[in-house]
Amino acid sequence: MRRTLRIYRRSLGAHLRAVLEYEADFWVLIVAGLLFQVLNLIFLSAVFAHVPALNGWSYPEAVLLAGTYGFVNGLGPLFFEGTWRLAGKINHGELDYPLTRPAPVLVQVVSGGIGLHGVGDLIGGGAMIGWGLAHSDIDWSPARIGGALLLLASSATILLSLIVVGNAASFWVGGNHPVFAMTLIRTGDMAKYPLSIYGVAVRATFTVLVPYAFISFFPASWLLDKESAWIGLLTPLVALYCAYLARLVFRHGLRRYDSAGH
Amino acid sequence: MKPYLGLLRMSTRRILTYRLNSLILWIGGATFLAGSLAVWHALLSEGAIGGYDWDQMKAYLLVGWATASIGSAYGDWWMASRIFDGHVATDLTKPLDYQWARFSEHMGGLATEFIAITIAATAIVTFTGGLVVPGPGQALLFAVSFLLVAPLKFTIAYITTMACFWTQNFMGVSWAKDAIVTLFSGALIPLALLPAWLAGPAAVLPFASITATPAALYLGQATGWEALRLLAVQAAWVLVLWWGARLIWRRALRALTVHGG
Repeated sequence: MRRTLRIYRRSLGAHLRAVLEYEADFWVLIVAGLLFQVLNLIFLSAVFAHVPALNGWSYPEAVLLAGTYGFVNGLGPLFFEGTWRLAGKINHGELDYPLTRPAPVLVQVVSGGIGLHGVGDLIGGGAMIGWGLAHSDIDWSPARIGGALLLLASSATILLSLIVVGNAASFWVGGNHPVFAMTLIRTGDMAKYPLSIYGVAVRATFTVLVPYAFISFFPASWLLDKESAWIGLLTPLVALYCAYLARLVFRHGLRRYDSAGH
Repeated sequence: MKPYLGLLRMSTRRILTYRLNSLILWIGGATFLAGSLAVWHALLSEGAIGGYDWDQMKAYLLVGWATASIGSAYGDWWMASRIFDGHVATDLTKPLDYQWARFSEHMGGLATEFIAITIAATAIVTFTGGLVVPGPGQALLFAVSFLLVAPLKFTIAYITTMACFWTQNFMGVSWAKDAIVTLFSGALIPLALLPAWLAGPAAVLPFASITATPAALYLGQATGWEALRLLAVQAAWVLVLWWGARLIWRRALRALTVHGG
C-alpha cells in the first residue's frame, strides 16, 4: 500500500513538474476553472435577486450547495486527471506500457496527468462554501464539524469513483474521447441545485442509480438540517460502494483490452 | 469550392464513424437541457421573473441550447491538435485557404446538429405541453439569425484556437472561451436578468448575437426595425471577426514552432 502511494505521488509529481514548465498555461487553466465557479455564482445571484428561496433553500444555502459541488469537482482534475486519458490510451494501444510495469495499472492510469483548472475550482468552490457557511444558520458542535469533514471526504470519493467508472466505460464504448465519462459527469452538474426541484424520476435516479445527490445535496442537507437530513449520513456507505464499483468495472474493462496493432 | 465541400463531407463522416460516441454526447446535451428546464420550472413556479414566464422561458432555453449546439463539432480541437503536433505544416502546403478549410470542417456537424435540435424541440412540445411559436415574419427573421450563428461561432472558436500558437494547452483556453461565451451570450441566464455591471459589457460584445439575438427574434421581443438592426449587428460581427481572424493568423504563423520533421 505504501509503495503504491509512493508510486502515485511520484507519477503525479512528474506530471506536475511537466505542466509547470508552461507558465502561461498554468494561469489560463486556473482562471478557466475559477471562471466556471464564478458563472455558477452569477447565475445564483441573478436568480435570487428575483426570488427569495428555491424550494426552501435560501441564497447562502444554495451557494453552499453549489460551492460544495464545485470544490469536490476540483479534486478530480488535481488528483485523477490521468483517468480522462484512458480512452486515448486504449484507442492508441498505449495501455501496453502500464501493463508491463510492476505497479497497479489503475494507479498508473489515474496518476497519468494533472489538471490545474482544479485549483480554480477549489478556490472558487472553497470561497463559496466559506461564504455560504458564514451566512447560513448552522448549530456548530465538534460532532458536526467532524461529520461535515467525513461527508466531504466521502462525497469526494464518490465523484472520483464515478470518474473512474465513466472512463473505464471506454473499454466498451471505444473511440478516442471519453464521451461516456463526459456525459456521466456533466449530468451530475444538475446536482449543484437542490435535488427537490426535480421530478421524482430524476430524484430516484440521482439517489439510487447514479448517486450524484450524495456528492453535494445530501451532505449539505445534513449540515443544514433540512428535510430527511439523516440520508446524508449514508454518504460514507455510498462512497465505499462506489469505490468498490470503480475497482470492479476497471478490472472487468481491463480484461477486454486487446491493444492496437503496432 | 469543391475541395471545401470535400472537407465538409469528410468531417461529417469522421463524426459519424463514432456513432455511439455522438449519441452519448447528445444524450448528455439532452440531460443538460432537461436540467435547465427543471431548474427554471422550479424558479418560475411562483410567477414570472424579469418578464419571462414559463412558456417564454421554455422557448428561450430551447433557443439557447440550440444555438449552443449548432456548429460545435470538434473542428477547433482537431485544429488545436494539428498545431501542437506540427501537422499544421502539411496543412499549410495544401493549395487551400486555411480559414475556409477549417470553416468547412467546422460545419461538418451541422447535419447531425439539426436532427438533434429537431428531436429536442419535439420532445419539449410533447412532454411540457407546447411551445411558443412565432408568426411567419418573426420566424423568418429568427431563421436568418439562427443561420448566422454558425459562422459567428466559428470565427470565435477559430480566433480562440489560434492561441495554440502561443500556448501548449488548448483545454484551458477553450474552457475560458466557453465560460465567457456562456455568460455574455445569454445562454447562462437572459441578459436582462444580469446585474448592470455585466449587462453593460454584454451589450457591446459580439457574444450577445449568439443567443440573445435569435431568442429575442423568436420570442418577438424585437420586431420591425429593431429586429433588422439586431440582424445587421450580427452580420457585422461575422464579417469583422472573419477578417480580424485573418489579421491574427498572419501574426500567429510567425509564432509557429514545429520541432523535427
